[in-house]
Amino acid sequence: MGSVRKFDSKPKINGSWKFLDDYQSEDMIYGNIIYSKCHHGIIKDIHFPNDFNISEFTFVYAKDIPGENIVPEPVSDQLFLAVNEVFHYGQPIIGVAHPNKVTLTNFIKKIKIDYEELPAIIDIKECLDNEKNHFGREITIDHRTRDEIQNSWIRHHNVYYMPHQEQAYLEPQGVIAEYDKQDGIIFVRITAQCPYYVKSGVESMMGSAVNDVVIETSEGIGGAFGGKEDFPSLLAGICSLLSYKSGKPVKIVLDREDDIKITTKRHPARIEIESYTDPATKKIEKIDIDYRLDAGAYQTLSPVVLARGVLHTAGGYGFPDSFIRGRLFRSNTPPNGAFRGFGAPQGFAAMEAHIDGIAAEMDITTIELRKANIFNNGDEFPTTQKVTEENLIDCFNKVLEISDYQKKLKSYAQWNKNHKDKKGIGVSLGFHGGGFTGNGEKTLNSEIKVVLEKNAEVKIFVANTDMGQGAHTTLAQMFCEAIDHPFEKTKVQLPNTSKTPNSGPTVASRTIYIIGNLLKQLALELKKKYKFDKLESYIIEHNSEFPLELRKNYIQPTSVFFDEESYRGIAYKDYSWAACVNEIYFHADTYQIELIESWNVLDIGRVVNEQIALGQAEGGILQGLAYGLSEFFYKPGFGRMSGFTDYTLPTTLDIPKIVIEFIHTDSVTAKGLGEIPMDFPAPALRNAFLNATGIIIDEYPLTPEVIYKTIKEQK
Amino acid sequence: MQFNKPKDLNELLENLSISQKKNYFLAGGTDINVQIKKEFIKDGNFYYINEIDELNGIKRKNEKVHVGALTTYRELLESDTISEHFPFLQRSLTNFASPLLTTMATIGGNIANGSPTNDVTPPLLVLDAELELISVAGIRNVSLTSFFTGYKKSLLKKDEIIKGVVLSIQAENGYETLYKKVGARKTLTIAKVALAGLKKIKEGKIDEIKLAVGSLNEYPRRLDKLEEYLNNIMIRDINKNTIDEILSKEITPISDLRSDKEYRYRVCLNLILSFLGINH
Repeated sequence: MGSVRKFDSKPKINGSWKFLDDYQSEDMIYGNIIYSKCHHGIIKDIHFPNDFNISEFTFVYAKDIPGENIVPEPVSDQLFLAVNEVFHYGQPIIGVAHPNKVTLTNFIKKIKIDYEELPAIIDIKECLDNEKNHFGREITIDHRTRDEIQNSWIRHHNVYYMPHQEQAYLEPQGVIAEYDKQDGIIFVRITAQCPYYVKSGVESMMGSAVNDVVIETSEGIGGAFGGKEDFPSLLAGICSLLSYKSGKPVKIVLDREDDIKITTKRHPARIEIESYTDPATKKIEKIDIDYRLDAGAYQTLSPVVLARGVLHTAGGYGFPDSFIRGRLFRSNTPPNGAFRGFGAPQGFAAMEAHIDGIAAEMDITTIELRKANIFNNGDEFPTTQKVTEENLIDCFNKVLEISDYQKKLKSYAQWNKNHKDKKGIGVSLGFHGGGFTGNGEKTLNSEIKVVLEKNAEVKIFVANTDMGQGAHTTLAQMFCEAIDHPFEKTKVQLPNTSKTPNSGPTVASRTIYIIGNLLKQLALELKKKYKFDKLESYIIEHNSEFPLELRKNYIQPTSVFFDEESYRGIAYKDYSWAACVNEIYFHADTYQIELIESWNVLDIGRVVNEQIALGQAEGGILQGLAYGLSEFFYKPGFGRMSGFTDYTLPTTLDIPKIVIEFIHTDSVTAKGLGEIPMDFPAPALRNAFLNATGIIIDEYPLTPEVIYKTIKEQK
Repeated sequence: MQFNKPKDLNELLENLSISQKKNYFLAGGTDINVQIKKEFIKDGNFYYINEIDELNGIKRKNEKVHVGALTTYRELLESDTISEHFPFLQRSLTNFASPLLTTMATIGGNIANGSPTNDVTPPLLVLDAELELISVAGIRNVSLTSFFTGYKKSLLKKDEIIKGVVLSIQAENGYETLYKKVGARKTLTIAKVALAGLKKIKEGKIDEIKLAVGSLNEYPRRLDKLEEYLNNIMIRDINKNTIDEILSKEITPISDLRSDKEYRYRVCLNLILSFLGINH
């Protein structure tokens, strides 16, 4: 079937599909959040401007919450609305609504809140360098096997810093809540990744004040990248309460500036690595990693990011002796959250830089060092999970081949001798675990529903959202391809918690890998049970048996077990593998890195829809390149950014040529794809810069300012 | 805020002469709309001038080319007259902004807005551009080098508007040229450092040099003292330290969210040295 046309292409191009802000109704009023502009303090007084008719506004405070003032999260410690004390800039204090959007905006601008200011940590290093700021559960993966360090081993020790990253989805956060007083039902329309998370958010907020809560997504979701995983629960809760109190449908759409200032970002990280390498064998014999994330003011879902982070940070290497410690650190900034990669990009940014650091220190090539340590069949992850394939080696060899790495390495070294500007080439590699970490998929117990209509139309009901990534098209394809059913006779229901069963959140590269494969299994079981050649003909012949509703739950194989206490066992059933080579040109006069070309070889197993897969890979690679090159959100002394004028997303002119190759596509399983392209471009870029200039930078992104400062300090 | 749409230049100038409030001109709107949204501008008289023909068009008169204030960057990029006589200026504008902005933004607006980072001023400065300012009292010409007097301050009087930019046809003829805008990305970016330069070198001697910078002072300016030092000097006699010393008095870069003053200074110095062909 290959690259069939996406369901959403046409309605998005002709404008018939609605994004959140396109939904209107006659009596709809506009809501917004009045949030803290203080990093940490006690609320002393709130002054409303006196040139507005206050009776026209609806206000909701913490005291108005009929349910619990807690946003449900893996660690539920975040409030919907602040009570007396605020712990971060951007913390919601009051929900407010008014029939006129302009009046509302002007009113909010004029509100003054007095605070008694308390000490606050907003600086990333101040947060992460100080052990006193640690909070929450500490994770350790202890795979220490030796007591002694041999004298001949070479120690390499370094600290790496990774910045925030903004998801920069095209469509900002938005929600419409409508309270039906008669039936006591709240209906929420939202641009979000996880309708069932939103449902539990609104249920927590409303408690027994309502009989039911129904969540449906907007037709179009303009990107998410993790940014619409948990924040929508907070926004929907406040919006629902405003609708409940006003009795009217309420719409909140965040202004871009507010969206950037108050919503979740990728966690800044500080990763310290100490390693010992045997110079005779080039084998890294011992590694110790201290992995820290700046969670922001609350833990929320950060423990889950931390879990994935520590499980990925040791990279694709078979270390015989490893010790990994993972901790969250508290700051007075908005809680950080999900972003494509979920803790893994930080881990690889540090580990892949460290590998090149070791090679530089030992004066051997990074390729030799990687080859001596890369995962072989039979090696172990730090969790003791066995590596059962050598696909990472295949990715690595392939990327070296298609990038012409060795030849370029030599010719650039020669070129660099006679030029002030420098050329460089760098490599990185690793893996990404598909689906929820550990026993997560078992707990989720995802359910899917398929209805076979009398006219042989297949209707798919899943809670997974299509936010532009093409999930619905690919899911339908997987069902159809399994039993050779025509794609045109398939529909995917818009996620709605009263119609679509809980097939889990649209996160963790799990949609195709878990839900898609589940649909495929269901189709195959159907075929086996009814023994048909073509489903269509079968339905015509047995028309009275239809419509037929089928359901299926994901059952985690019993062989998959992970001990959440000791962090031993099977952390992920299937891994995707990748390797990346980046080529750069360094401009000596301006200290700028120019991206020339990026080669990426990915093993995601079977590729269902090549066009969609390439699109996903390209987008992730770009976000990864920008993570290494230009994106940062906070600058010491100057604070946080508020828009795209300063926050440096690359433009089309900044994008290099990108080469993508999928390998092992004849495999049976379609594995995770969403996140892995993001994991490796940043360290490959950093390593290319090291190759070009010999200058070691252990802080991302490699902005010209950081490069200049490093060069100046070295002199 | 009051919004006005004068039907022609005369009506506009009449309005300006009796206006009690600060006057703002709305042409492409690419700067002013942002300033209104961010509430940097809260009150004033707004004049929509986009349809005033007298302020539009690129015209050649004898040895001069007159570029009307309302000329957009798209028009400059596509103009045959500009391409024929000012290829350097045209090249300088290539990655000025996104196609959307380039289509709306005007040369007069970019200058009048007076931003220290404005992109068009450095190349115009080295081309010795003049501005035509007009009011009910008539037209007066001022050189662009003297136009700016401070941060977002200029010689423009309350009742005046920029009518156009005047360039001599020979302005870039026979020079080697440089324009470098250093930003956080290749386009759609606010310059961290901008440098424009023209030079004529004969037998190892600098015959003439013109240098202008943006984003490094309260307004874009020519590097007069540095030009003075460099004019008529043998390249081999140039002292790097002297350049450094003079430059440190002529530019006053700042640190902000976008960049650092040390970086800005060093990049400016590097670009000048490279333009002069001096190893560094």
